Amino acid sequence: MSEIASETDRDSSSERFARGSRLVDLLSKTGLSLAIVTVILYGSFSSPVFFTAGNFLNILTSMSIIGIVVVGMTFVLVVGGLADLSVPATIACGAILSLGLQPIIGPVPAFIVAVALAGLIGSVNGALVGYLGVNPIIATLGIGTVALGIVQAAVGGVIVYGANPSSAEFVKGRLFGIPVVVLIFLITALIGHFILSRSFWGRWTLATGGNYSAAEASAVPVKAVKAGAFVITALAAGISGGLLGLTLQSARPLIGQGYEFSAITAVVVGGVSIMGGFGSVPRAIAGLIFVQLLTNVMVLEGVRTPVQGFVLGILIAGAVGMDSALRKRGIA
Amino acid sequence: MNSADYALNMRGISKTFPGVKALSDVNFSVKFGTVHAVVGENGAGKSTLMKVLSGSYQPTSGTIEVGGVEARLRRPADAQALGIRMVHQELNLVPDLTVAENVYLGRMPGKWGFLDKKDMLQKATTVLKEQGTAIDPQERLGNLSISQQQLVEIAKAYAADPRIIVLDEPTSSLSEHETAALFRILRKMRDAGIAIVYISHRLKEVLEIADEVTVLRDGSMIETRPIAGVSASDMIQLMVGREVSNVFPKSPAKIGEPVLRVNAISDGVNFRDVSFDVREGEILGLIGLVGAGRTEVARAIFGLANVVQGTLTLNGKNVIINSPAEAVKAGIAYVPEDRKGDGIIPAMSIRENISLPVLKRLTTLGRIRRNADRSLADQYVKKFSISPPDPERRVNLLSGGNQQKTVIAKWLAATPSVLILDEPTRGVDVGAKAEIHHIIGQLVADGMAVVMISSELPEVLGVCDRIVVMRDGQASPPIDRQDLTEERIMALATGEEVA
Repeated sequence: MSEIASETDRDSSSERFARGSRLVDLLSKTGLSLAIVTVILYGSFSSPVFFTAGNFLNILTSMSIIGIVVVGMTFVLVVGGLADLSVPATIACGAILSLGLQPIIGPVPAFIVAVALAGLIGSVNGALVGYLGVNPIIATLGIGTVALGIVQAAVGGVIVYGANPSSAEFVKGRLFGIPVVVLIFLITALIGHFILSRSFWGRWTLATGGNYSAAEASAVPVKAVKAGAFVITALAAGISGGLLGLTLQSARPLIGQGYEFSAITAVVVGGVSIMGGFGSVPRAIAGLIFVQLLTNVMVLEGVRTPVQGFVLGILIAGAVGMDSALRKRGIA
Repeated sequence: MNSADYALNMRGISKTFPGVKALSDVNFSVKFGTVHAVVGENGAGKSTLMKVLSGSYQPTSGTIEVGGVEARLRRPADAQALGIRMVHQELNLVPDLTVAENVYLGRMPGKWGFLDKKDMLQKATTVLKEQGTAIDPQERLGNLSISQQQLVEIAKAYAADPRIIVLDEPTSSLSEHETAALFRILRKMRDAGIAIVYISHRLKEVLEIADEVTVLRDGSMIETRPIAGVSASDMIQLMVGREVSNVFPKSPAKIGEPVLRVNAISDGVNFRDVSFDVREGEILGLIGLVGAGRTEVARAIFGLANVVQGTLTLNGKNVIINSPAEAVKAGIAYVPEDRKGDGIIPAMSIRENISLPVLKRLTTLGRIRRNADRSLADQYVKKFSISPPDPERRVNLLSGGNQQKTVIAKWLAATPSVLILDEPTRGVDVGAKAEIHHIIGQLVADGMAVVMISSELPEVLGVCDRIVVMRDGQASPPIDRQDLTEERIMALATGEEVA
């Protein structure tokens, strides 16, 4: 993943497997970039469509919506919060509200309110997980269901349609030749990367995930940091949902289904430890690129959907298994 | 007496951990039908020896005979198969099962995977009756008091028809009355021919229950004697009697005004009415046996645990501390006992560990100033000669001593006025120990107030100016080092003498 490797990556990852064998060491550093190159080579030979600007732009655009969630989810995994399963609900909340509120308060305020309310969902998750110590899987699953219910009840309908075509135009349009959605994703990724690797909050996040009680004893506000990761994820999912709604100009309650799985897959395949304490945004995005390319090749090859799911499932199980194995060698 | 009379015969047992010799050439024999006490200071090797006996640790060298037959105990199941049962200080029971189910946990009677409940209940009733306890075998375990649970744990060991039962501090949660009940059961088991190994800090109880006593010190067996003719002070002498060596004498620092005053604090559970003060340039020792409440006091002062009563005065002002962050702000730092659990973030570098408590000070507009972060780490790596001298080295790749130096550096970076050190030299080699003493000496010379918790009496007597001895959650007033000897400290810590 040298193309997007950053300085902080080298800081921490180079030592991670210092006790492992050289082969393991080499694989852990270059494995993902090798895999990405392999997929690109295979795709280029097997399909005439794959290696075209149009296809890559396609991949990039479809990657962007999920990519924004991946940035947030990275924080949840790094802080040791396992996973945020309320993402589908938060995305739906963002999409439904940003469309549904348009006729009332206009497109931009609608988007902002949608994201803010998504953040509220995240703070409830965060309060439960960080301050009350509820298991994150249960807490986010429960809160997601509750939030979705409230939004649906408030909106009243089953599907919400857009009322402001110009906002759709903007989101689907381009700025400096780059699709707006892609731009927003890149900005989110940069901000996320800055926070995790350069800011005190990011250092606290890594410390909390790395050793909760030592971080607590080092005057790190561990509870707030843990809660914060869920707020960050919810804000990201809110933005993602809002963009999704504006792009599609319609939103159903199940619009976000499957996004949590894709996001977790990308983060884990990117080598971010599910046990917390280790990972970076660029790594997670590398994982996302790999998964997206692989899916694209499978689609172009005509691989049936169930088989695609099978491959991705194997991938996530393999990545998690690898993480535990490496953790045993490296950290133990 | 031939070897078949011995339930247990351990010969020449040594156990080496990387960098530490935990046991060296220990001989330990227990006869059938006796209660054999094992005493020693914290870290004398009692638990290591018992872990070897229970199959949790493999001895580096030495032989073990159980009932006259040589045995190799590769895992706990091997020891259990030979009839060796452990009753640990922490209970290993399932609260939601009944007493009977707990007693037969893992060995439930029945056929083809079906549980024979009636049989189990009957057997459990018999066992409990034999022990003379009035516990209903059908009661849910979680409804019992801790002391009753302790008796169930013993019944569980007894029901397995053991040859050797090892009890580790069984009376630590029992009242005097309950202890007497326990002793009745132990005597019954002893008279049934079971060999009982009894580990305790409470010398009075040892004198009461034991037939023989073995004293361990610094990983070596000092002496095994019949209890007749042994007094508590004899045992204390054997436990501490060693030459004072490897102690870095404190450089005399000018002692000033009290910095931290602890006024009658209690946490409602582990300690009560603890009062002391520590002055500028002073090292105050806080000592006591395991479970006396030393660490709990330190954690409470640092805001990691609640204080329900009492107050703290820092530099003349009353302070209320509810979290480590508030403690750091007030100027208190704490180097915890459990270095791996509470001290280091293993996956982070030396640099990232050191700057953690003061990260906000190194931050502009949310961004950590890289140069400030680096120079802080460089400064302490150099000052404490942390090795290897590479601030980017991941801290879990360092030796114990260097990890400890990193943790101390982390706290000095926060420039506290009071530093609490909990077992700062445990598990570090002699060289690193001297370096850490040297660092502490420099700190007090610069006017810092230091509270040092340690289990090593020579260290405490060599380094500290005044010493507070804790026992069962209560603290003695600070005593000048000149007025103390190792024997007197042990007497205070075991309750043989009241301060």
